[in-house]
Amino acid sequence: MKRWLIALFVIPVAVFAFQAVEAKIHFEEIGAKAGVNAHHHSRQFNGDTGDVLHMFTSGGSSAAVGDFDGDGFDDIFVTDSDNGKPNHLFHNNGNMTFTDVAVKAGVVKGNEPKTIVADALWFDYDNDGREDLLVARFGTPILYHNEGNGKFKDVSATSGLNKFGNTIAVIAFDYDNDGLLDLMFGNYFKPVNLLDLKDPHVLPNDLDNAVNGGGVTLWRNTGNGHFVETTEKAGFGKHTGWTLDIGHGDLNNDGFQDIYLACDYGTDRIFFNNGDGTFTEKTETATGFDTKKGMNVDIADYDNDGWLDIYVTNIYDEYMKECNMLWHNNHDGTFTDVSAETNTCIAGWGWAAKFGDFDNDGWQDLFVVNGLRSAGKDNYIPVLVNLITQPGVDFSDVRLWPKIGDMTWSGYQKKKFFRNIGGQTFKEMSAQAGVDNDKDGRGIGLGDFDNDGRLDFYQVNADQEALLYRNNTEGAGNWVQFKLTGTKSNRDAIGARITLTAGGLKQIQEINGGNGYAGQSTKRAHFGVGKALKVDAVEIHWPSGLVQKVDGVSVNKLNKITEGKGLDR
Amino acid sequence: MSYRTLSILAALFVSSAFIPTMLAGPADDAFDQGQQALAAKDYTTAIAKLQQAVQLDPDSLRNSSQLRQAVLRQTIAAHPKEGSTADFDAEIAFFQKAAADHPMSSNILLNYGFAYVDKIPAAGSITQVILANTALTQFGKSIELKPTWIALYTRGNSYLYWPRVFARASLGVADLEKAYAMQKSEPKKSYHVRVYISLGDGYWKTDNIEKARSMWQEGLQAFPDSQPLKDRLSKQGDDLKTYIDNVLDPNKRVDTDLKELWMQS
Repeated sequence: MKRWLIALFVIPVAVFAFQAVEAKIHFEEIGAKAGVNAHHHSRQFNGDTGDVLHMFTSGGSSAAVGDFDGDGFDDIFVTDSDNGKPNHLFHNNGNMTFTDVAVKAGVVKGNEPKTIVADALWFDYDNDGREDLLVARFGTPILYHNEGNGKFKDVSATSGLNKFGNTIAVIAFDYDNDGLLDLMFGNYFKPVNLLDLKDPHVLPNDLDNAVNGGGVTLWRNTGNGHFVETTEKAGFGKHTGWTLDIGHGDLNNDGFQDIYLACDYGTDRIFFNNGDGTFTEKTETATGFDTKKGMNVDIADYDNDGWLDIYVTNIYDEYMKECNMLWHNNHDGTFTDVSAETNTCIAGWGWAAKFGDFDNDGWQDLFVVNGLRSAGKDNYIPVLVNLITQPGVDFSDVRLWPKIGDMTWSGYQKKKFFRNIGGQTFKEMSAQAGVDNDKDGRGIGLGDFDNDGRLDFYQVNADQEALLYRNNTEGAGNWVQFKLTGTKSNRDAIGARITLTAGGLKQIQEINGGNGYAGQSTKRAHFGVGKALKVDAVEIHWPSGLVQKVDGVSVNKLNKITEGKGLDR
Repeated sequence: MSYRTLSILAALFVSSAFIPTMLAGPADDAFDQGQQALAAKDYTTAIAKLQQAVQLDPDSLRNSSQLRQAVLRQTIAAHPKEGSTADFDAEIAFFQKAAADHPMSSNILLNYGFAYVDKIPAAGSITQVILANTALTQFGKSIELKPTWIALYTRGNSYLYWPRVFARASLGVADLEKAYAMQKSEPKKSYHVRVYISLGDGYWKTDNIEKARSMWQEGLQAFPDSQPLKDRLSKQGDDLKTYIDNVLDPNKRVDTDLKELWMQS
């Protein structure tokens, strides 16, 4: 009740702020022109169960945005998944064209006969100022050290990251605030090799409450290029769900990074950081248990109330009407799903969703990709329901699932672009924005690839070409970007929180290490400030605990700030 | 025919006429006690008494229906929103056993099916499909035993909740047309309006729009105060689709209280 009373007073101000910058949001798809329309290939499996396993592993198409060569332009690493298929490293030429330098850089590999590439992440694990690369797999991960000469060195063997997992998501964050980036892997299937299947009972044991998935693993960075597993010690050992995505952020404003796990076939999980290297699961009290098909988690303060909120995609189609969830932070460790009230509920068979202020009005908009499998005219659902309604059927047995062949399953879905209307509601406008493609979307990587102050995005798709959307919004507001460099904190400044006041709005953003399914976005913080021509205040809460006020921040510029030193001049 | 034979027949007649009366007494008592406990929100007692009433008079729609209502109220009181799936398991087990104990009771089977329907809103989206299908199986068994108006209406209406992709609406129309024919040959009852509504919805869902409107109009002539019929007839195109999709949303609780039926029987 209290929140809505506050909202009554906030709405007029918010609407005024929005109307002051009524931009015409529009994007142009330039993937082919830019040279980044990589075609993804999901893994083909052999044998009688190959068709079903192929269907169940239709992820693996992912993108990681990061400036690997430090030239001031964000580059894109793009994964492929079929046996022998190369990954891509698209170097940004600075003119909205890209060159694939993966071979030269030595990062093409990963798809081997018994391993499948599924996700990727840029992070500076050794704080040397260069973005290193982690390639997550159904298998063991590959860790590449950035050698600084456009080349990478495979340091997996000495990294300690030697545990097999069917990893579909990975994030880097500093969970113990020791200045070193740690890793969390989200694992979909339990740790058995699907490419060398011994036991056919590998699929979910329950389609709404499955507990036989891969859970997560947590790896602490010990500072010498080595990681040690701390999953059990940190309190994640009991989670055995089908993790599809991981989001991190300081959800209770205590200075420590908390975790939200989006899980397929059953309840999502929320873990609060105790500040001592351990976490406590608070799902029951924070959000309640759900039975939905969690696909993605992104975290942002959509209503500018100073607390991070959470957006989760689920599945909504004719035959399965699960709303997405927009968890509004109630400031007391609990969250309320406001997706229906904010018009962000319906987005098809959801995959990645990313917040971003695409019109620079000071409010975080939301882009959602969707669509499972666009194929022939026959629909797989009536076939599948025959299995589902069999009394006592063992869903985990891959041999029992009907083959999908050329059938379509929740395919040809139009993407959703939700424009944030003053933090109170959203308006779906994908067609007007020019982003209503019907590909089988998977991941999203945001970045200002042409450094023009408008957020662009890259969309990867399963078994289809990727798309690059250049933001051509007319009348976009002014903006402020930050590139933070940690000194005592991790150098990437992941977990640092920026509070910016401008144009009558106070906004917060945290630098994150890979939030969003199958995608990592730029580590720059991008704020829209509407008509404001100056910034009133900037405060940074570093993971080290340092609270730094920064003067002299410029509008319509990338501001580089080093921990404890202020603006780089 | 000997005197002895006549006596036996007479005795059989007397006892067969007497047995329901003998059973109805304790069943009514148990029902009344259950109702009182329900009014006092003493759900544990209410459920125990109503279960007793069902056991004593298994083919009573009234007893089974009120038992389900008691379980429903208990679970909603314990768990806000739609309750927890586990809350319905004891009820389902009870009806499963009752159906096995009384294999010729069509109304037990009907309520057994309803017990699954009651659980649907508390369940996940895929479990909902499983529950809905299991309910249909029990409704079908009930119809096999005795194709009553309520059983045909119930199964027919249930089919309409299935998304179009499953093509079950035509099966619903077939059941509802039989229920419609039955009620045309009976004295008018207030609950008959339900068939006009649902059969019209079935025609709409099978893309027979004119037949749908005709059925709703016929229903409105018979039941001029029916708001659901007025609502449907006042809408066209996408508005009507939105309205019916909302009515047939499986995530929303279906009112399975049969009070209207047994109070008029």
